[in-house]
Amino acid sequence: MTFSSSYLLSLVTFVYLGAAALYLIHWVFRVQKVGLLATLATYAGFAIQTSGIALRWIESHRMGYGHAPLSNLYESLVFFSWVTVLVYLFIEWKIRRREIGAFAAPFATFSMAYASFGTEDKIQPLIPALQSNWLIAHVVTCFLGYASFAIACGLGIMYLLKKDDSRGGQGILGGLPEKKLLDELVHQTIIFGFLWLSIGIITGAVWANEAWGTYWSWDPKETWSLITWFVYATALHARFVRGWAGRKIAFLSIIGFVSVIFTYFGVNFLLSGLHSYGSQ
Amino acid sequence: MKPSSSKNTNPVWAFFSSVRLAVFLLITLAVTSIAGTIIPQGQPLDFYKDQFSHTFFQIIRVLQLNDMYHAWWYLGLLGLFSLNLIVCTVKRLPFTLRLLRKDNLSLTSHRLRKMPFRHEWKTRGKVDASAIKPLLEAGKTRLPESQVDGGRLFLAEKGKWSHWGLYILHSSILVIFAGALTGSFAGFKGNIMLLEGESTDHIVDASRSKQIPLGFSIRCDKFSVSFYDTGAPREFKSDLAVLEGGNEVLKKSIVVNDPLEYKGISFYQSSYQAVPQVTVRFHRKDGTREDIVLSAFQRISWPAARLTLGLMQYLPSFNGVPAARIWLADSEGKTRALWLLKGNEKIYTQDDEQFSISLIGASQSYMTGLQVKKDPGVWIVWLGCTLLIFGFGIVFWVPHQTKWLWIGEKDGNTIVILAGQTNKNKIHFEKEFHKTEQAIESVLGVK
Ligand code: HEM
Repeated sequence: MTFSSSYLLSLVTFVYLGAAALYLIHWVFRVQKVGLLATLATYAGFAIQTSGIALRWIESHRMGYGHAPLSNLYESLVFFSWVTVLVYLFIEWKIRRREIGAFAAPFATFSMAYASFGTEDKIQPLIPALQSNWLIAHVVTCFLGYASFAIACGLGIMYLLKKDDSRGGQGILGGLPEKKLLDELVHQTIIFGFLWLSIGIITGAVWANEAWGTYWSWDPKETWSLITWFVYATALHARFVRGWAGRKIAFLSIIGFVSVIFTYFGVNFLLSGLHSYGSQ
Repeated sequence: MKPSSSKNTNPVWAFFSSVRLAVFLLITLAVTSIAGTIIPQGQPLDFYKDQFSHTFFQIIRVLQLNDMYHAWWYLGLLGLFSLNLIVCTVKRLPFTLRLLRKDNLSLTSHRLRKMPFRHEWKTRGKVDASAIKPLLEAGKTRLPESQVDGGRLFLAEKGKWSHWGLYILHSSILVIFAGALTGSFAGFKGNIMLLEGESTDHIVDASRSKQIPLGFSIRCDKFSVSFYDTGAPREFKSDLAVLEGGNEVLKKSIVVNDPLEYKGISFYQSSYQAVPQVTVRFHRKDGTREDIVLSAFQRISWPAARLTLGLMQYLPSFNGVPAARIWLADSEGKTRALWLLKGNEKIYTQDDEQFSISLIGASQSYMTGLQVKKDPGVWIVWLGCTLLIFGFGIVFWVPHQTKWLWIGEKDGNTIVILAGQTNKNKIHFEKEFHKTEQAIESVLGVK
């Protein structure tokens, strides 16, 4: 049997599902070994996924279309999941805490499951509007932003679930990192995501200017990305307004991610506009 | 660094300079912007009258929700936001200037002992300042120095300028606004449709439906479209020529994502339309004949017969036969429409002359749709975007780090104090500080 990219990528769905379950067990039962297993599974899934994406790129060249696998909903979901895992693994390596995995791996799993079971995975040729090098710059930067926001959302949920640190490390929720650390991580991931979203919006504007002659046309997808940007700008400034620490920022990280989801899917399915080819 | 309450307590000033207002405006902009993504934008008012209830239509009309991103209240919010940003920046400026002017060489040893990072050594022997001073900042031997408390104070400071990062970041937003304003006042946007072979020296403005002269002519020589084997379009291409005083000065084939630019005006491939073309044969009584090619959307005049002609409709198969409906106007402006079926002749009389007209062929040509724009503000917008990214990078990743080294004497002992502070990335600074500490320790030979 031959390993097609879609085969490899559907396999990834199950590896990430397994990793998410292991992270959950690690967090709830506090077994260090299971945590290590979860990390190993995530690395394995990431390796398979990377090969799957590379293979899909090669396959598109064999078909004579030759383009980076970032052009339709299936490919963008796969890429979203890939970047989310990348950003997560970086944070895990940096802070050496695995409980966050239980809130990050599910995002990667959902995204892959939706890609594999809910969308058309045929390799399609690029329509004229997408034939630009800006496609890669735009999609990569936007998705780095989206992935950071997904993780900020996971961290925000953890923050809201967790009781005061003073209660000590009791119960299931006690195993989560301290609130102060969570708060700082939410802030850092939002900063990181905000930078990439800004660059994503800018590369999108440069591309639109090249393709259509307007860098900004208030099309629903553009407008929603700006709305998302406003939400996170609020989160960054809210820190300087008294009483807006902790909980409120955690809420904003969730509202912001809802806005990201809407920018990503809602616009394609519910509204019409220049970007709706994404729903093919 | 957070500027605390200012001496200026004017409530209006306080209101416009508050981050609270900025947060309020950001939330308001986020929430109101949603409306324009749900209500279709830029349609004629009648459209909304049909689609929505009377009350809702009135709301749309008053709040200009049909073009809400250019509505007075939305622009007002953006204006207030800019004002907030300017006032906030002006208020902050004195704090930053004071911070930058602060003389870091006049600190007392007492102050150094209170720095967030510090270490102190005491030794009996003499200390050679020139041996430990380079350890402060990667082998730099010439450091600013002063005499304080009867000892020598050395200073190594990095990234002081990074305090301007926030100003760069915030002003970048204003620069982008300025670019957008320049574009909307000094630029234009519109569309043209050109048949193959046709040229124009003006366009019709998209919003104000007025004519704008280009100052030169643009001609479409050829349009082509190609498809993938899946049936999806592969490429739309127009071969364009720029004419000045009838002479070709520039030729370029444009595709989507690769426009033509001439004298600050850009032409983008935006759409196309297939245009039917028919050949009509006119037989005169005296046996002479003339073949005329008619395209949709085009008038052809035929002076010899004092006729103007046009193609109104073309059917490739009318009961199996190609059919065309053509339109004729005589010199007095009287018009007639005729259906021609291939293989059938029609008799047409004008003045005393009689023609028999027949449809002899049909083909297809194209009309290319070009988006035309001039935007002298676009470079300002790109400048603003660049500043935004740079400013962001500086605000979050360039720290202002200061290290001090004081060498003095007390009760016959030599005292060495190393102190430091940073405004961001404390963890990284701590490591670096610790390294300096160890390096000094190994030179001094004491703990
Ligand atoms: C959409 C436009 C804006 C963007 C992208 C932006 C961006 C930023 C960023 C990234 C920071 C750093 C936050 C941090 O250190 O965590 C910041 C800080 C700040 N911004 Fe804005 N800002 C904007 C509008 C405004 C406005 C309108 C005001 C007016 C009051 C304002 C006032 C401030 C203040 C006072 C700080 C705190 C700086 C400090 O003390 O460290 N910003 N802004």
